[in-house]
Amino acid sequence: MISRSSTKSCCAARLQKKTLLARGRIHTYATLLDALVRPFTSFNKISDLKAGIASFYDESSPLWEDMWGEHMHHGYYPKGSAPKSNQQAQLDMIEESLSVAGVTEVTNMLDVGCGIGGSSRYIAKKYGCRASGITLSPKQADRANEITNKAGLADRATFQVADALNQPFQDSTFDLVWSMESGEHMPDKRKFVNELARVCTPGGNVIVVTWCHRVLQQAESSLRPEELSLLDRICEAYYLPAWCSVADYEKLFTEAGLVDVVTRDWSEEVAPFWGAVIQSAMTGQGISGLLKAGWTTIKGALVMPLMAQGYNMGLIKFNLITARKPYKIST
Amino acid sequence: MKLLTHNMLACHIKGVKNNFPFMIEVTKVETCDADYDPEFLRHMFPRIVWPAFLQGAEQMGCRDGLPEAATEEMLQEDTFLKKFHHALLEVRLQEGALVCPETGRKFPVSKGIPNLLLTEDEC
Repeated sequence: MISRSSTKSCCAARLQKKTLLARGRIHTYATLLDALVRPFTSFNKISDLKAGIASFYDESSPLWEDMWGEHMHHGYYPKGSAPKSNQQAQLDMIEESLSVAGVTEVTNMLDVGCGIGGSSRYIAKKYGCRASGITLSPKQADRANEITNKAGLADRATFQVADALNQPFQDSTFDLVWSMESGEHMPDKRKFVNELARVCTPGGNVIVVTWCHRVLQQAESSLRPEELSLLDRICEAYYLPAWCSVADYEKLFTEAGLVDVVTRDWSEEVAPFWGAVIQSAMTGQGISGLLKAGWTTIKGALVMPLMAQGYNMGLIKFNLITARKPYKIST
Repeated sequence: MKLLTHNMLACHIKGVKNNFPFMIEVTKVETCDADYDPEFLRHMFPRIVWPAFLQGAEQMGCRDGLPEAATEEMLQEDTFLKKFHHALLEVRLQEGALVCPETGRKFPVSKGIPNLLLTEDEC
């Protein structure tokens, strides 16, 4: 079942929210925790989204790296697989994504929302390709560079501070365009996907792994109020401007001229992740790290149980969307 | 920033037509060793805009020895490949700026990292 267009569902959602505020009604909360966390996540918010995202990662990146290492994305834990470390699960996430996309060789890859360069380095090593990473966070770009130099990969991976919605690259530059858990931050999903398609070479692959909300039923015009409320809390804390569904992404990919679109729902496969993150946050190292990092990071931590709740409710999904740029774009 | 990266970058300020290549303003340039990989060079060559590469090399001070025009045949010659390799991958802009050829707007490069964020009015 294809949902209605993302614009419609996101707009309808925002309208519903505004209506609730305008009428002075009390919000519907998904959980008590959601209600308790609201004043924290709303407090001291940076109003400019890009500055907020940069600031969030400038502040929280070092702590994440201390606790979890160089990969800032979910681990992949398929049912029935042998127990594995969280770091191995994160590498498996990369491998599984490449496998579903059918990537066999890469010359020049782009890492959109590159963090501290984990994916860039891994893929550069795997395929012997060059990697360029872009991030809004100057501190992340610096750190990515530092780690890359230390790893002896400085001639393979480079990093730039740039905007995924206004990429500073020529058309048709990269044969692999990779976005691992950065799509959540994009306020304009259509522009995001169009830019990914623009900079991809004909015959190249675009891979997006991202958090989505559930696909709407035929009769629905938006998510339920309690679902919107929960997402709202999460958005405030993590500087996420908009959610859409995997069906919305599939449509955007097709409209951008990409072909052979394949999707996966890995919500079950990533289920253990937030539990593991919460566990690590509760340790002595986690708590002292949070206190040192600052308020923005603490807010992010407070909202982690809501992420877990979102998954449990079937509201939050973890999706892969991948496609190829054809040799000739059909209009 | 290496010339390989420079060759991929264009200025996306709204309305700008002449957006490639960026002019390079050098404050500090460094040379480092990079793994010599002829296959990679052969793979990348068709994607390199040669005049832009030469202009960048001129500005970064590594233009010497590079031919005015390059052909596929030259990719079999070791002397050419080594010069191509050096200028493309081993000379790095550490401090300076990338300058939009049409508007003159400067994008700073610091610790080798270009900051290519546009302001709200430029998008």
